[in-house]
Order: sequence, then C-alpha cells, then structure tokens
Amino acid sequence: MAHSYRAVGWNRTKKVYDRTLVLGVLLFLALFVGATATTNPDMSAEIMLMRAFGTGAFVLLHVVLVIGPLCRLDRRWLPLLYNRRHLGVAMFVLGLLHAVLAVVVYHAFGDVDPLTSILSANARIDSLSQFPFQPLGLAAFGILLLMAATSHDFWLANLTPPVWKALHMLVYVAYGLLVMHVALGALQAETSAVLAGLTGAGLLLVTLLHVIAALREAPADVPHAAAGDRVSVPHGVAADQSADDCWVAVCPVDSIPEGRAHITCLAGERVAVFRWDGRVAAVSNACQHQNGPLGEGRVIDGCITCPWHGYQYLPASGRSPPPFDERVPTFAVRVEDGHVLIDPRPRPPGTELEPAIIGDAVGAGS
Amino acid sequence: MSVDVAWWVSRAVLAYGLVGLLFAVLFVSLGVRRVDPLAAEGTLGFRLAILPGCALLWPLMARRWLSGQRHPPQERSAHRAAAAAQHVDDGA
Repeated sequence: MAHSYRAVGWNRTKKVYDRTLVLGVLLFLALFVGATATTNPDMSAEIMLMRAFGTGAFVLLHVVLVIGPLCRLDRRWLPLLYNRRHLGVAMFVLGLLHAVLAVVVYHAFGDVDPLTSILSANARIDSLSQFPFQPLGLAAFGILLLMAATSHDFWLANLTPPVWKALHMLVYVAYGLLVMHVALGALQAETSAVLAGLTGAGLLLVTLLHVIAALREAPADVPHAAAGDRVSVPHGVAADQSADDCWVAVCPVDSIPEGRAHITCLAGERVAVFRWDGRVAAVSNACQHQNGPLGEGRVIDGCITCPWHGYQYLPASGRSPPPFDERVPTFAVRVEDGHVLIDPRPRPPGTELEPAIIGDAVGAGS
Repeated sequence: MSVDVAWWVSRAVLAYGLVGLLFAVLFVSLGVRRVDPLAAEGTLGFRLAILPGCALLWPLMARRWLSGQRHPPQERSAHRAAAAAQHVDDGA
C-alpha cells in the first residue's frame, strides 16, 4: 500500500455491498418489529427494539462466521467476503444499540452505576433461569468492540497481519459467549421452542461448515516430505547440486489449471504454485495485506490476484506492481518430466526468480 | 460478583478508558504520523476511524510512539523468518 490512509477506500463494489447490507438490516428490523408487535402487542417499544437489535446482531454474526468456510468450499461466495469487515462493523453497531437499550431499560436508574449493576446482577451461577447472562453479553461486547475498533487497514499494518488475525479470531470466543448469553437469557423466558431451535440450528450450521472446510483443506497442510512425496535431486543435474540443495516434487504440471495455483506445504507454511502463459512460479501463500490465500486466487493481467481484496503480485518477484510496495517470499521452481520441482528454501520477500518454462527440456532453474 | 468488587472493576475500566481517550486524541493529532509514514497525510476520517482502537490499545501505541519507531513492525511468518535466516547465512 503506497497511498495515504483514508477512512474507507470506497469503490463501486463496496458501495453496492454496503447499500445492500443497510437495506437488508433495515428490512430485518422492520420485519422483526412488525412480527413482534403482531404476536406480542403488550411488549414495550424499547424492549421490542432491544430484542430487534440484539437478534439482528446475532444473525449478522452468523453470516460473518459462515462466509469464511463457505468461500473455501465454493468460490462463488467470495464476493461476500470482499467487504466482510463492514459486515462486522454493522453487526457491532446493532450490538451497541442493543446494549445501550438494555442499560437504559434495566441498569440506568438503580443505586449503582450501570457497569457495576451489570457485573453484580444475578449472582446465581447455580441456576439456569437466574444465571448472570448479562456479564456474558458484556464480555462478548468488549471483544466485538476491540474488533470493530481495529478493523482499519492501519491496524493491519501496525499490528502485522498474523497478530491482527489472531486478535480477530476472538470472534469465536465472542460467539460462544453470545450463544450462552442468548440461551441463559432470552431463551429462559421463552415458552416457544422455535427460538431455541433456531439458535441450535445456527450453532450447528457454523460448526459443521467449519469442520467440513477444515477437513477439505487439511491435505494442503501436510508437509511434503512427511506425506511421502518424492524429494529429489533431478537426474542429470545432481552432480552440480550442493549438499543442502534439494528439490521437492510437488505435483504434475498438468494438474495446475491455467491461471490458477496448486497449494502445497513447504518450510512450515503454504506455498502457492502458479501456472500461467506456459510458465510456473511459486510464492508464499499468505497475502501481505490480510494474509489472504493467494493460491485460491487467479493470475489476472499477469499478476497473482488475492481472492479476498484484489491485492496483486508479480509471480516471478512476489512484488506488487508499482506504485504499490507489498512483497511476499518467493521460491525457485523447475519443471522436469512433467513435474513441478520446488527448492523449499524461501527467498526474501520480493526476490526475483526466473519462472520455469513448461516444455523446456532442461528446465529453468533459479 | 459482589457489588464492592464490581464497583472496583468498573472504576478500573473507566480509568483505563479515560486515559485511553485522552491519549488517543493526542496520538491521532500528533503521534500517528511519527509511527507510520502512510498516516502523515491521513484524512480526518481516517484519524476518527482509528481513534477508538488507539483508546483501547493505548499502552501499545504509547510504547511505540515513545520508543521512536518510524515504521510499522515487519510481519513474522515461517517463510519470512527462514528467508531472513538464509539471507544472513549467505552473507548478504
């Protein structure tokens, strides 16, 4: 990224995404309030709105959580992932409105301040119906606040993507706390089993999608030598290799679709091996922007394009084209006997290496 | 949680938040340009967008500002670490 920070880097796609999001949220709130007013006309307006905002936030949290595994299972979901951070911030805003109304209704006019009131209310941890569910919601709110507050690219750069991602993985802790907040709070007062069933179905959906996506991706994380693949020094050139110079055969070159990548695991991380225009090159799989999976992207206009936010890298050097300055580590590649061979030693980010030429009898080395 | 303990916890949270808010206003006005060159010409919208995060993570950003770091830290990953080690071994 070589430009100054702005609040939001607007483009047409983001505007369409956000308009659709706002319309969807407003439609949900209107339907929820309309249905509640019809079925429970005695409910006060503030409690009705509090439940509408809380339910809206909980539903959006499910959407946020299932986008990741859905994209790994089917690329057609990728447009939803493009602006997922705005979904998360919208979810936080709904949660904030829910929290403000809950404080106003239940904690604003007592003998102690609202925060003390929430923390000290319902001390019966041995009772399901009187369990202190509000501190659970407060803890989840704190996590979602931290995530929303650090959603800007400034935080990605200043915390570094791995730390930022680890921080944002706390969303699963927040989700667990919110499931308990709902189960021990709103559901205790419900006589109908519909809401309990929907909450359980949501939990099941989130869990199943993550398990299926993890099982499908597991083979890519098996280190190559341990998986029994051949580790070879190509014949004919073996005498010229130094002792620590080994090449790993990762896949038949024909198995890589044009403009796409084969993902493998070398040197402790995933490597994306791209084939395009009769050439093959390999780079570290993690995009420098948000550690998105480069190997799930495509080569567009001669550049590896991250499927998450469109950050681009030249395959041979792992550098973003000017004026941008992102860089990822690169790997030396050969093609021999129809197989792609990779030197498993990563080169420093942005190191230019000659791509291997498909069909070249000798193969293009480093 | 007893009311007494809850009172002390809420006071601690409030104090942390107030110090964070004061620091964040100072930091987005003066400090952020010193720790990240891309923030030097950051818009007002950008400064407002990062203000809550600065208030929450103020010990981290204060330490970075006071230590005089001029750039964001480098990302650490297995490939980047191995490449750096290899680079040193090669005497580059």
